[in-house]
Formats: sequence, C-alpha cells, structure tokens
Amino acid sequence: MSQTSRRSVLLLGGAAVAAPLVPRFAVAQADNRPRITIAVQKIVNSNVLDVLREQSNVGERVFYTSLWESLIGRDWLGNLAPRPGLATEWRRVNDQTVELKLRQGVKFHNGDEMTAEDVVFTFSRERMFANTEAKNRSTIRAFEQIPTPRAGKELPPDIAATARRIWPDLLRIDIVDRYTVRFINATPDVTLEGRLSRYGSDIMSRRGWDEAASYLDWARKPITTGPYKVVEFRPDVSLTLEAHDEYWGGRPPLKSIRFVEVPEVASRVAGLLSGQYQFACDIPPDQIGEIEKNAAFEVQGGTIQNHRLTVFDKNNAQLANPLVRRAFTHAIDRQAIVETLWAGRTKVPAGLQWEFYGDMFHADWKVPDYDPKIARDLLRQAGYRGDPIVYRVLNNYYTNQNPTSQILTEMWRSVGLNVQMQTVENWSQIMERGPARAVRDWSNSAPFNDPVSSIVNQHGPNGQQQQIGEWTNAEMNQLCEVLETSTDRDLRRKSFRRMLEICEREDPAYTVLHQNATFTAKAKSIRWKTAPAFAMDFRPGNYGA
Amino acid sequence: MLRFFALRLLRALITIGLVVTFAFVVLRLSGDPALIILGPESAPEAIAAFRKAWGLDEPLWRQYFSYFGAIAQGELGRSMRDGRAAMDLVAERIPATLALTIPALIIKIGIGIPAGIIAALNRGSLTDRLVMLLSVAGFTVPSFVLGLVLVLIFAVHLGWLPSGGQDSWRHAILPIATLGIGGAAVLARFTRSAMLEVLGQPYVRTASAKGVPWRQVVIGHALPNATIPTVTIIGFMVGSLIAGAVVVESVFSWPGVGRLLVVAVSNRDLAVVQCILLLVAATMVVSNLIVDFLYGFLDPRLRHAGGRSGS
Repeated sequence: MSQTSRRSVLLLGGAAVAAPLVPRFAVAQADNRPRITIAVQKIVNSNVLDVLREQSNVGERVFYTSLWESLIGRDWLGNLAPRPGLATEWRRVNDQTVELKLRQGVKFHNGDEMTAEDVVFTFSRERMFANTEAKNRSTIRAFEQIPTPRAGKELPPDIAATARRIWPDLLRIDIVDRYTVRFINATPDVTLEGRLSRYGSDIMSRRGWDEAASYLDWARKPITTGPYKVVEFRPDVSLTLEAHDEYWGGRPPLKSIRFVEVPEVASRVAGLLSGQYQFACDIPPDQIGEIEKNAAFEVQGGTIQNHRLTVFDKNNAQLANPLVRRAFTHAIDRQAIVETLWAGRTKVPAGLQWEFYGDMFHADWKVPDYDPKIARDLLRQAGYRGDPIVYRVLNNYYTNQNPTSQILTEMWRSVGLNVQMQTVENWSQIMERGPARAVRDWSNSAPFNDPVSSIVNQHGPNGQQQQIGEWTNAEMNQLCEVLETSTDRDLRRKSFRRMLEICEREDPAYTVLHQNATFTAKAKSIRWKTAPAFAMDFRPGNYGA
Repeated sequence: MLRFFALRLLRALITIGLVVTFAFVVLRLSGDPALIILGPESAPEAIAAFRKAWGLDEPLWRQYFSYFGAIAQGELGRSMRDGRAAMDLVAERIPATLALTIPALIIKIGIGIPAGIIAALNRGSLTDRLVMLLSVAGFTVPSFVLGLVLVLIFAVHLGWLPSGGQDSWRHAILPIATLGIGGAAVLARFTRSAMLEVLGQPYVRTASAKGVPWRQVVIGHALPNATIPTVTIIGFMVGSLIAGAVVVESVFSWPGVGRLLVVAVSNRDLAVVQCILLLVAATMVVSNLIVDFLYGFLDPRLRHAGGRSGS
C-alpha cells in the first residue's frame, strides 16, 4: 500500500492544475510569428469598425484584407479586379439574378461556419436596409417582416441610406441550399457582381450580431471571416488584431497587428526610424527622399483607385458659360504637378475611369490638353471680363492639396482667369451655397469595376454634385439611367463615352487632375508588397514570404 | 464670506454659460457635423438621415435652447460619432491627461521656483545669466518643436525612449519633460522678477540692517511676499491641468483630453467639445478660488480685508 503524504497530494494537485496549461505553453512557445505595429494618421473616422458606417479610405486600410471579406473578392495585389472570395463561383440566372456558391469550411472568428443564413442576414433589414425599399420595385413583396429593432440595437441613421446607395434595387436573397444563395434585383443590372465585390458588401456572422448587447458593442468588435480578429479597439488610439488561425486561406503570417493613431507625420517617421513601428502610413511625397536616405528603410506605394478633381459650379455667374469652364481645363499642366509635387510617383489618368473597368474602359480617352492658347481663346469667345472666381480649398485635406491649389491658381491666372483662392475649414463651408461658390477640390473613387460606381454615383442625378445644386445636364441624366439598367454592353460602353464627353469636355462638371497615391514606409528587411489601394494585405503569402 | 463665495459662484456660472453659448454658435455656424463626420463622398441621403437623427435640420435657435435645456438638467449629450455619452468619453481620457500634467506641474514647480530664486539671489552673476538663458529658451521654443527635438535625440538617435504612444511609463517621460521644461521656464522668470522686486523693498533692507541673518531674511521676509505672483501663475497652471496638453498630446500620440478636443472640434462633435469646455471652465473656477484662499493665507492684509468685506 502506497503512502500518500500531504506533500505528494499538493504536488499531484499542482500537476493536475498545470497539465492543461503545458500544451498551450508549448504552442505559445512554438508560435514565433511576428507582431507588428503600424502607425497611421487616422484609424477610422466614425469610431466603429462597421463597413457600412465607416466608408472612408482610412477604413479601407484597417478593414481589408485583415478583417472583412466579401463573397466576390478583389485582386488586392493586382488590378483589384473581381476574384473568388467567400464565394467560389457565381453565375447569372437572368438579368436580375446572380447565383453564388459559398466556399465551404469558412469559419467566423467565433468558430461558426459561414452558411447561406449568414449571407441573408448580412443583407437583411435588421443589419442593412431598415425600413427602406428597393428604388424601382414594382410590386410590394416584402421578403421579410421589418423587425422592430431591439433596444440599443437600432442602426445608426445613415446606414440604411448608405446600404441603399450600394444596393438601390436589391429585392431579396434566396437560400437555394446551405451553401448556395441567389441575389435578386428589382431591375436588370449588369453590375450586381461588382456590387458584391465592393466595400460594404462584406459578410458577417449572424450569431455575432445576435449576441452583441448593442450596435456599438457589435461594431467595435464585429465577428467576420478575415484572417485577423479584433482583440481591442480604442477609438482614436489603437486597434489590435490577432491571427484567426482557422482562416480559410491558411494560417496568417502575423501573430498580431496593431494600428496606432499618430496624427503627426514627423512623429510617425520618428517612430519608424526608432524601430517602434514597423510600418508608417500616409507618408507625404516630400518625405519619401528623406526616409530613403536611410538605407535600412524604403517607401512603397503608388496610385490607388481614386482621382483628384477640380469641380465646377455651373450656376456661378462666371462659370455658367461652358467655354469658361473649358478654359479652366486647358490651363492646367497636370504633368508638371505630377512631376514636381509627386516626384513622378503618380500619373495623369484617362479621365474619370480606371483600367479595371475592363471593356468599359476607353483607353483612347484623355484629359483636356494643356494648352494656354486654347484657354485664352475660349475665354475670349466667352466674353469673360476678368471678374473674380472663388476657388474654395481645404488646408491639405488631400495630400499636397495646398501646393496643388496654389499652382492651379497661378496657372489659371496666367491665362486670364481671375481666380481668388479661399482657404476654408471644412466641407460644409466648401459646399455652402451662394453666388460665390464656383470652383472646389474633390476626389472620386471607383468602389467596383464599372462606371456606375463613379461617374454615375458621384455626378449623376443622385450624386453629390447634382444633389447640392452645383451642376446638372439632362442628357447626362438620361445616360445614367441607361448605364444603371441596360444589359447591352455596347450601348453601355457608348453611353459611358458620351458621359465623359459631356462631363469633361462639352459642359464640364469637373476636370481630373491626377490619380491619387498613397505611400507607406517600412524597414527594407520586411518582405511585404503594397496593394494599389489603401488596403494593407497581411494574408498568407504577402508577409515574409 | 458667504456672500463672497456666492458672488464668485454666480460669476463662474455666467462665465460657463457664455463659454457654452460661444462654443455652440462658433461650432454650429462653421460647419455641418453630418458632412464632416460622414465625409465628402458619402451619399446625400445618408447625410440627410444623419442630420435628421441628430436634430441638425432644426432651426439653430431651437437646437440651442434644447441643448441648453438638456445641460441645465445635467444631460451633457452624446457624441455624434458613435452615440456614446459625451461625459463618458471625456472621463475616459482624463486619467491619461492627468498622468502627464500632474508630474509636469511638479517639475515646473520643483525646477522653476528654485531656479528663479537662485537667479534672483545671484543677480547679474554667471548663474543668473545661465538660468535666464535657459529660461528664455524654454519659454520661447514652442512645445511641438521641443517635443520633436526630444524625440529626435532620445528616441531616434539614442533609442532610449519611445517616440509616442501610451503603452508604459517610459512613454510618458518625453511628453512630461516637454510640458515640464516649458512651464518651469515660465515659473523661473516670474519667480526671479518677484524676488528681485521684494528684495528691493525697505522691510528687507531694514531686516538686514537689524542684523537678521540673510538666510532668515530671504526665507522669513522675502519669499512669502514673492510667492503671491508665483501662486497666480501656478493657479493658471492648475486650471489648465485638464486641457493644457493639446499640442503635446498630438505630437506624442497621447490619448488624453487634448487630443479628444482636437478630434471633436474638427468633427464638430458639439456635445464632446462642450463637455470638455465645461470641465475646463470648472477647473479654472476652482483653481481661482483656491488661489484666492492662498492669497489670504500668504498675505494677512488680504485676509483681514476679505474678512471685513464678508462680515
């Protein structure tokens, strides 16, 4: 008979308690993946991690590709064209319906498998549309009861409006089986696949939503499918993500990613050089040379799917004549701006369009030629007498905005346009109606690979420029309807061409200056490739590989 | 005495009311929070929905009165960015700011006052000139320049300290030093001037002539009288404990009240701005009251005069 002493009992007890910890400790020891810190100017503007609330460039950076994923993904390291994401394949059932096969075995951050139920819930009234209706629906056929929001679970007021802007005519989603869904639109729409790939159409866990006590609780820690999950979000301070080891695309290469908000450029650069941060984002072009003087560091980045524009108010007395607006467009030496302010690291694009439009892209289209003589002739024809024209600008809201606006002002003045630059503080002052409103800065993105996502959404009848009363054109508005509803690709292509002619030449609504670019500094020793977007890709295969 | 405090309190309430009104008018007339928070590319219908939900589509006077009415009932409002109570947002940030400003205040007093006294007692000497040189330098260099210089030296070149953030006590050293150096320089200059003025007074000469040891003259006669202007400056410094580190917090990415104020103002997040302004105003008022008390304690003439007027 063995003797059991008090000491042996304590030892056995201690061993029993410690036993479950040993394998974990061993795993932790084996997990030598790096943890990185990324300094950014801003993490998100809206203090939440909801793709429908935070519709911004800075949001794109922290959401993609780490956190949120859509059924149809994007080629983040290529040309951003659609590619299989959470859906492995899709097909057109008819002009109004797309059927998608869901990827099997995709796990949410809470361990649940993604199924058709989650997809339907993602596009539900409770999560997206609230009590809004599809714009063109001809029959009242509610695909679900409008739920009474749970106390504290009401959607912020702008979400349904944003969702309807993304999906104006989505009627319902049918579940075919556990891994097959059908998106059914009220009208024929060739852009359904594009809309499925865009920012805001990303899939979330239904249980994750149900278990959150409030919208804010959910939106601070959304349960999604991305390779990293939220550990802690401190608004305006930091966002910590941790590897989601059940990620369908393989084991994430980083143990954790921490985004920290460092508003000052000098502080971001100093933190990078001192080794406190592994990446420093939002580097102005004039700092690139300074950083790269240190052989251990490099600045990556380049053009993104966003163009900088100058926008006109055709109701302004001086700009009512399109010849004056055309003079503005011919007086700009865009290439000089690209060379001097951007060190040649961006380009002058072919108008308000992007190559990833595919067959809708007009490769032979160009921005108006820089020709001061044409500009002067146009002003003469218009009978412009040198009356002042106000150019409202913000203080470096866009990268290089201050020097660009000063250069533009001088270029315009040199052809005889009496442009008065007026620096204001915010967007509502920029857009404030009145006889003085004339010229302003803006930028336009293309969230998916069709002109509907840009020229129609921004300059069409429902776009901001027409909504705030700056500009309208009857033919343009008819063409928008064609582009949104026609399935005839040739007609759509011709219509888009005509829209470019109207908006950029005949009756200028805007003129494109250059493509925007973003730059990220990092240690050369880190093997990582930047995307042609604000998004930062830390999925398997793009870090340390 | 009671009347004295009642008047002070009334004056403070009027001041706070004016501050709140001024901030409301300036912030609401200079920008639309919906457009600023949702961004220039957001859908017009989203902006309209946001405006309606937060009452921004109401006439300005109605917004003002409903806001003022809510404040009168102790409801400071919610942040338009995420719907959280403004007071909660601000309260979360106060400890971070105090973690910088209180040690910095100690440094300001601990270095500034002795330096000023030493300079005054050695007027015209090399020590005096050196103290004043450093004081003028500390006083004139803006805090964001000083902060970046310290970062370059101690974070980038020497690698001893982190350049920003709030992860450990080491992260606080450079921002505290930045705040402390500037404040100490100010206090040193004021203390020196006050001491020099007092040292030239007849009662100091009389005490010296009577054979009182110089050390005792300085401690017993000069210092208490020279303290009054210094206490006034320290009162201002205490009053700015809550929001006195706006620039330094931005340079060092320190998540305190100052940074919250910058973000809230740029977003026209009125409730948060007002909440911070109310706190700052309240801190200033309390600080001024404490300074008034200290005046009475330090100068019996004021104490007696105050007692008579209050009786």
